[in-house]
Amino acid sequence: MDLFLQRCFDGLFNGAIYASLALALVMLFRATGLLNFALGEIGMVGGYTSLVMLTPAAVAGSGGGFRFPVAGTSLASRLPGHPYPILVAIAVGVIASALLGVLLQRIVLYRLRNRSDFVKVNATIALLLALAGLVTEVWGGASHRYPSVFPDEPTDYVNVFGGRLRYTTLGAWAVQLFLLLLLGVLINRTKTGLAFRAITSNAEAASLVGIPVQRTLAIGWAVSCGIGALAVSLVAASTILRPGMMVTVLILAFAAATIGGLDSPKGAVVGGVIVGLTQSLVPGYTPFPSELAVVPPFLVMTILLMFRPTGLFGTSRVVRV
Amino acid sequence: MSRLLQRQNSPARSAAIAASLGAAVLLPVIVNRGLLEDFSRVFVLILAVLGVNLLTSTTGLISLGHGVFVGIGAFSMANLLDQNIPVIVALVLATAVAGFAGMIVALPALRVRGPYLALITLGLSIMFPPIGRRLGRFTGSALGRSVNVDGFDPPDFLRLDDHPHIWNYVVCLMVVSVWFLLTRNLLNSRIGRAIRASKDHEHAAAAFGVNLAMAKTGTFGISAAMAGTAGALQAIIDPYLNTNDYDWALSLKLYTSAVIGGLGSLLGAVVGAVIYVGLPWLNEVLGLLDSPSLAFGLGLLIVIIAAPNGVVGLLTRFAKKSARSQHDG
Repeated sequence: MDLFLQRCFDGLFNGAIYASLALALVMLFRATGLLNFALGEIGMVGGYTSLVMLTPAAVAGSGGGFRFPVAGTSLASRLPGHPYPILVAIAVGVIASALLGVLLQRIVLYRLRNRSDFVKVNATIALLLALAGLVTEVWGGASHRYPSVFPDEPTDYVNVFGGRLRYTTLGAWAVQLFLLLLLGVLINRTKTGLAFRAITSNAEAASLVGIPVQRTLAIGWAVSCGIGALAVSLVAASTILRPGMMVTVLILAFAAATIGGLDSPKGAVVGGVIVGLTQSLVPGYTPFPSELAVVPPFLVMTILLMFRPTGLFGTSRVVRV
Repeated sequence: MSRLLQRQNSPARSAAIAASLGAAVLLPVIVNRGLLEDFSRVFVLILAVLGVNLLTSTTGLISLGHGVFVGIGAFSMANLLDQNIPVIVALVLATAVAGFAGMIVALPALRVRGPYLALITLGLSIMFPPIGRRLGRFTGSALGRSVNVDGFDPPDFLRLDDHPHIWNYVVCLMVVSVWFLLTRNLLNSRIGRAIRASKDHEHAAAAFGVNLAMAKTGTFGISAAMAGTAGALQAIIDPYLNTNDYDWALSLKLYTSAVIGGLGSLLGAVVGAVIYVGLPWLNEVLGLLDSPSLAFGLGLLIVIIAAPNGVVGLLTRFAKKSARSQHDG
């Protein structure tokens, strides 16, 4: 029982990360009808920006020992008050990713607005490759330690019926619920949210009735990519910050979003929990090797899609010839 | 594929094909061993890129996992050769295994619309190296394994015993040509028309009795089989395999090269294979970037925005324009 709870708690931590990224994907899907394969890498740019913000230049410059220098710290150290505390650094990272998202929407996706979905998906695949290359180019292939916002000592846990519920897990879920609330309000209670739905259903008609289409899309990209940076900081704090780490995480977040139904924020969270739990419970109770923990969530997704193509909470659409 | 692979018998076209075939046949006489081996590698890559090209251009599906089928083909080949099976038989079997694996992947993915196939195949290409590392002797685990190519000797009458690289080259050239002919004939058959119809108007095609799932699954299987052949040939040219080489970056680069080269044409696949090899090479020679993936990504972006039909589309447009101006002048 203790072990079972422990595995559930471990799975819930990862689940929070998948859920937040899945929320970001759903958010953008609601706003633009697009699956963004570059989301993880856009978040990585923010993650590394926050690393630059919180790494002291002296340590970075020395480059000795096992700490590799972080590109840009000497430049950032000229800012007053640098290095910044972790919360400020994450905020800067989130803003950087959000701005990058808006920039990409303006430069790339705006040009493709009249092209097919196939072309747009291709563009995000291209951005995935380009940004992954850019991050490696600027910050190198080395791994970096990344501090946690929440208390992360071995003793920082609550004992729940013998299982250790770590503060980091609680913190990740606090972030998660805050995001859900924020997006719920944004989508259901604001004019911007209404505009999202109008644009996805018919962009031309939306612009005819006076909805500022491009500005609304920019907001969608900004929020989605900002959440991406937040997710990167959670992943990096729990493991390490290194280029390419987000590809696997993003693909599992896609699985979570798909399981929940691509257009439902509630589904994204439920999907995230399902993916996180299958990832920790299946290798725990079957002979399934733990380094292949990425496989079971995919099997769950594939099987679910065969019976419910719209996911658990997704709305089905009628297609006319 | 739909346009350029159809039988068009213009004299200029036949001449171009004959000239390039002649050049390909003469190549072993002209270039040295290292360069010829590089050419064999490019031919093999043409096959892999052509597989991606065929799938995307005829069905509009995106596969970010064809590197996996290259890997399946390569490891199947290695294990079949362990059993002392003749190379040609092993090649056909390895191709079949990859094609069958492709159909298994495609079957559930195609029940749903949208870019789910891209998602599932990308997941697959992420999973392949860790799965491969656990397969023991089949893949040689984390260390990789060598391929037993001892039995792959050129036939006596060719007198190529001292030049195995030429024999490799000849086999690669022949296999690629066979695949090309098969593809062309398939696309001009009833099945090919059904596949194309299902891309242009899915629901209308279904209403006319085209079995969409069958058409798409079949196409995916064929394109995966092509990638599998490419992997099997790679295993012969470079008889050392490591499961880590078949990662998601390989799959993404294959897809990117196919789109940059130009979807829907054999020439596009050739250009794509050249880009796949040439871009990292150029990058290394010029010493520009640490990772070529930035170049691949930017190249794809530029092509999407500026040249919807890839490099080949750009060339065709240019050729037509110059032909017209000559005509006018």
